[in-house]
Amino acid sequence: MSNELRDIIESLIFISQDPLSVDRIAAVLEGAAATDIQAAVDELARGYAEAGRGIRVVHTGGGYIFTTHPDHDRWVRKLLQIERRNKLSSAALETLAAIAYHQPVTQSEVSAIRGVDSTYTLKTLLDKKLLKIVGRKKAPGNPLVYRTSERFLQYFGLNGLDELPSEEEIGKILQEEKASEG
Amino acid sequence: MPEDVLDPLPAEEAAPIPPAEAGDGYQVRLGAFEGPLDLLLFLIRKKKIDIHDIPIATITRDYLGYLERKERINLDREAEFLFIAALLIYIKSQMLLPRETDLAEQDDPRRVLVNRLLEYEKVKAACSVLRGREEAQILQWRRNFLPPLPGESALDFVEVSLFDLAESFFLLMKRRAAEDTRIIKGRDVSTEEKMKELLGLLRDGQVLDFLAYFETQASLEEALVSFFCLLELVKTRTAVAAQDEIFQTIRVWLRKDTRRAGHHE
Repeated sequence: MSNELRDIIESLIFISQDPLSVDRIAAVLEGAAATDIQAAVDELARGYAEAGRGIRVVHTGGGYIFTTHPDHDRWVRKLLQIERRNKLSSAALETLAAIAYHQPVTQSEVSAIRGVDSTYTLKTLLDKKLLKIVGRKKAPGNPLVYRTSERFLQYFGLNGLDELPSEEEIGKILQEEKASEG
Repeated sequence: MPEDVLDPLPAEEAAPIPPAEAGDGYQVRLGAFEGPLDLLLFLIRKKKIDIHDIPIATITRDYLGYLERKERINLDREAEFLFIAALLIYIKSQMLLPRETDLAEQDDPRRVLVNRLLEYEKVKAACSVLRGREEAQILQWRRNFLPPLPGESALDFVEVSLFDLAESFFLLMKRRAAEDTRIIKGRDVSTEEKMKELLGLLRDGQVLDFLAYFETQASLEEALVSFFCLLELVKTRTAVAAQDEIFQTIRVWLRKDTRRAGHHE
């Protein structure tokens, strides 16, 4: 594999604002095979990981992007004068989890799963662009239908919904929880 | 069939619910729960109850006990918690009905609730996974998430057009129009005077906050005149108007070369 290909890709990822997919890279590098690009990206990511650098190439949201090393969080925050990064509220997280596993869903379906009115939380998540509206349901009142967004994947470092824990994995977590309680 | 029988719901002396301070050491308030299902699940786990065979009377008693403990009443939340309480009592009443034959599992009145709880339990488990991922992710910084470095006044704003200026101005006019307009101010303002004032404010590299400046104008007429002056300054490229983001204030300052030449003074 040519180092040149790897180095060009490095530049592209560096300058990209959003995770850069192999498809996008292929579109820029006319003629390069997707398999070669994938191999070059993998080598690039491995190179950063193995050299123990301050930045890394992370696979998220279906693409690749540079991030700082997690161990350097406090220094980055100090530079940016950010006390702490806000996490999602537990209501927001619960709503997202319910939607992620049941999408596409309406507000009333989410509320039924949670047993709690979720109108406000949905609105906040929409504002944060972690959700998107994909249409209306052909049901009385034509309620809006929601899905998780690309940003949702990126936020949790996922590359697709199939990377969410499966039924079985969830079952395992529940058993472990019960075991630790008993 | 479950062995429990619906006790009379907590009467004073029979009340098996310990007060929040004593009891089993749990001091959980309603606010700690995301909702009624969360509370129910908590009670079921605490008592190590099999979710498929919930003793409805016991759990209803505990559940209502928690409802009574809460300190503040939020009607919306209250309704959601009471809805599940009503459901629990309804289920119990269904179970108490005499039947000719034993219930098939499908017809267990608890089934609907159990299914909801199982589904909710999965969501909670997914939550803990997502939370873990979130915690790992927020330690990794990406350049496009970063706010501009504090303390650095970036000068590469977007320079605004006359239209942007006009739009901001109309916004302002609207705001002012809402004010009491019956008071008539008697002072006449000339363009020359205003221009002088404006240039004075902009001298020595001062940056002027467009909206704030117009707010200080005594009358609509004065505001208008100063706006014309500003338009003139931008048009003759004497001053730069820039805006960080749409709907934010527009800042104005003199171009460096004119400041040096000072030919407006």
